[in-house]
Amino acid sequence: MNDYKLKSKKYQGGAKTFLSDWMIAILFVVLFALCCVFSSDFRTSRNIMNILRQASFIAIIAMGEFFVILLGEMDMSISSIIGTVSIFFAGFVVELGIPVFPAMILVTLMSAVIGIINGFLVVYGKMPSFIATLVTMNVLKGFNYIYSGALPIPGLPESFNFMAAGKVGFVPFAVILMLIVTVILYVFTAHTSLGRSFFAVGGNKEAAKLSGLNVNFISIFAFVMCGILTTIGALGLTSRTLSGNVTLGDDMLFDVMTIVVLGGTSLTGGRGRIVGVVIGALFLQVITNIMVLLSINTYWQWVVKGVILVVVVLIDAKSKKD
Amino acid sequence: MSKQQGAAAAGAPLIELKHCTMEFPGVKALDNVDFTLMPGECHALVGENGAGKSTLSKCITGENHMTSGELYVKGEPIKIPAYSIRESQRRGIAIVHQEFTLMNDLTGVENIFIGRYEKKLCFVDWKKLDRRAEELMEFLQCDVNLHVPVKHLRTAERQIIQLAKAILDNPQIVIFDELTAVLQEKDIQNIYRIIDILKAQGMGIIYISHRLDEIFDCCDSYTVLCDGRYIHSGAVRDIDKPQLIRMIIGRELANTYPPVNEQLGDVILETRGLTAPKAFRDVNIHVRAGEVVGLAGLLGAGKTELVHALYGNHRITGGKILYRGQEVRIRSPKKAISYGMGLVPDERRTLGLVMTYDIKDNTTLPSLNRYRKLGVFLDHEAAAKAAYDVNEKLKLKYYSLWQNVRKLSGGNQQKIVISKWMLRDADIFLLDEPTRGIDIGAKYEIYALIHQLAQQGKAVILVSPEMDELIGLCNRIYILYEGQVMDEVEGSRKTQEVIINSLLGVKA
Repeated sequence: MNDYKLKSKKYQGGAKTFLSDWMIAILFVVLFALCCVFSSDFRTSRNIMNILRQASFIAIIAMGEFFVILLGEMDMSISSIIGTVSIFFAGFVVELGIPVFPAMILVTLMSAVIGIINGFLVVYGKMPSFIATLVTMNVLKGFNYIYSGALPIPGLPESFNFMAAGKVGFVPFAVILMLIVTVILYVFTAHTSLGRSFFAVGGNKEAAKLSGLNVNFISIFAFVMCGILTTIGALGLTSRTLSGNVTLGDDMLFDVMTIVVLGGTSLTGGRGRIVGVVIGALFLQVITNIMVLLSINTYWQWVVKGVILVVVVLIDAKSKKD
Repeated sequence: MSKQQGAAAAGAPLIELKHCTMEFPGVKALDNVDFTLMPGECHALVGENGAGKSTLSKCITGENHMTSGELYVKGEPIKIPAYSIRESQRRGIAIVHQEFTLMNDLTGVENIFIGRYEKKLCFVDWKKLDRRAEELMEFLQCDVNLHVPVKHLRTAERQIIQLAKAILDNPQIVIFDELTAVLQEKDIQNIYRIIDILKAQGMGIIYISHRLDEIFDCCDSYTVLCDGRYIHSGAVRDIDKPQLIRMIIGRELANTYPPVNEQLGDVILETRGLTAPKAFRDVNIHVRAGEVVGLAGLLGAGKTELVHALYGNHRITGGKILYRGQEVRIRSPKKAISYGMGLVPDERRTLGLVMTYDIKDNTTLPSLNRYRKLGVFLDHEAAAKAAYDVNEKLKLKYYSLWQNVRKLSGGNQQKIVISKWMLRDADIFLLDEPTRGIDIGAKYEIYALIHQLAQQGKAVILVSPEMDELIGLCNRIYILYEGQVMDEVEGSRKTQEVIINSLLGVKA
């Protein structure tokens, strides 16, 4: 029994394993501390609440993408799904007069179907996910524009604004929503057998299949998860302006990918953690925020984010060699 | 590669390694090892996995820089810090690896000359390359189609191409790194022949292999390593196999194979006329509880496909599978597992294990559903305890259940692949080459394990390229030839001779 205790102890690698597991968290703390020290505008509680609020919706979307990347696949279609959700939700509510909640369920179902289509193309069509989702991305974009005529659909009810701007006590509702999603997904990935299966399939599809996992179902399920979580995030983004907008997701894909990878998710699949993704989202938001405060223009922000993504991917590739 | 060159070099050693020590952080992979290679000699480097064979060969090729010691290549001392693979190649050292380093979609010619194209003006001179490739094949006395993408070639043919690529620059020292591990008997004979050709040219060959018989078949001298230490070296003709095994594992092997279990139960699994296009046809086999049934056959005889078909992972077009007398349709591994089957596939790295997973997760992967609390949540504690129990039973060498499986030795990895099915309580074990590429000590542990399973009343179907293994372990052996069961042997007919004849399609 003594031997069992020894062999079942986690973190036998000591400080080094711990560090590499939680590198992003440590970097985030360092970055956050530096920003607090050097910028008096940054360290106001108002600004920090702002960061949290702005990070929350994109974090939820990134958690969706996380499941796909965990399988070693990629979902490019999220940028269009965001637009689809936004424009059709607004259309349903404003033009068809469907109440907000049923409309939310409708668009969630739509995204789930899109996820199923993506999953089928990849699993049964044997298409590389990059191509399959690139196709759905463009097809959806087409539908979005056909439906909306490239015009925004304003006029969503004021109460819907609660999602983005509401507060419970002093905490923004968006942050609470993100925390709830995080906790649920954490429990799902760490403490259910279906959740654990994603890691097995991502690590070695063939071995997982031969061990009796339903690899096809799990792969399709990942794309569905991605679709549904993207919907939640997209509804939040729509609620900021109270209008449906086709271009809402246009620049999002890159940020989402950066967040997932920043969070320690391996691009080849099998490794990653939900909490890492949330920290990744906060990390990126802090960087964006500090750049805005330092009046660095948007174009330079793109450059900086690009550099960050490259560095993180390089670290990921190197850690795989060891 | 002229004869004179070879003769001139005779007498002086090609490689001399003295007091070689190689330290990696935390481990001494080699400790004061001496090694000498003479011209025209085939020198076997033997030892268990992790004994330091690969490290030693890497020190010679310059991939590793030894911590201390001296290296002489053809009498010239090598400055270790500046040594590199490039320089070792320049000095005439070549290595042929077991795993494929070929570009699958390029032809043999392109693969041989890749990076070393001959040019006319600034264009690749294909005619000249073809001619030179032909010369090489003539020299090796092999007939391999060099004008199709190598993915269409057989394993053995691809290895000939790797060999041709290695000897392109007329090396004088060639290292064969477990080249024969994936080859069949017939193709191994071919490698022996090539070794003779190279030896006649005065080349020195360092031969690394797990199969001890090969060492007696084709090597002149041997060096034994154990745990990074130099044990002994000498001429092969002066020793016999038991002596060599004793040196390798540092102890006597009492009885090579455990006794065959005779307490047989009912037929658990049976096939009738099982057929899959291009793989096998009309296969009738059965296995009883407590029985070990062997599948023998050359590469491409359909053994692996048959096992995968039983496991629901290879499509069948005809015939049926009976589980305890009832016809069942097995369309997925998941279904097969529900009938109590467990597959130990031939490629443990790509098919058997999830390399990003730790020991605990790999062991519990097929039985995750059993460790639940509150209905939906995983009981990590119970899973860890179960994984611990089964891995201790198998005497797995590890320090933590959370340890990644990637760095375990081949034998230990294989134990995990088996332990996951023991944990799942499988009744039918499908073992596809369970001892491939693992060292001799671990092999006997696997044999003992197969015996244990049989004694517990489990049914075992064992695929193996080693006839010895099948004869020693199995109650009955089916011999497949081009997808058909050629013969079924048991009792007194279980001999090498009978099996070889059927393997080659000669009906006894």
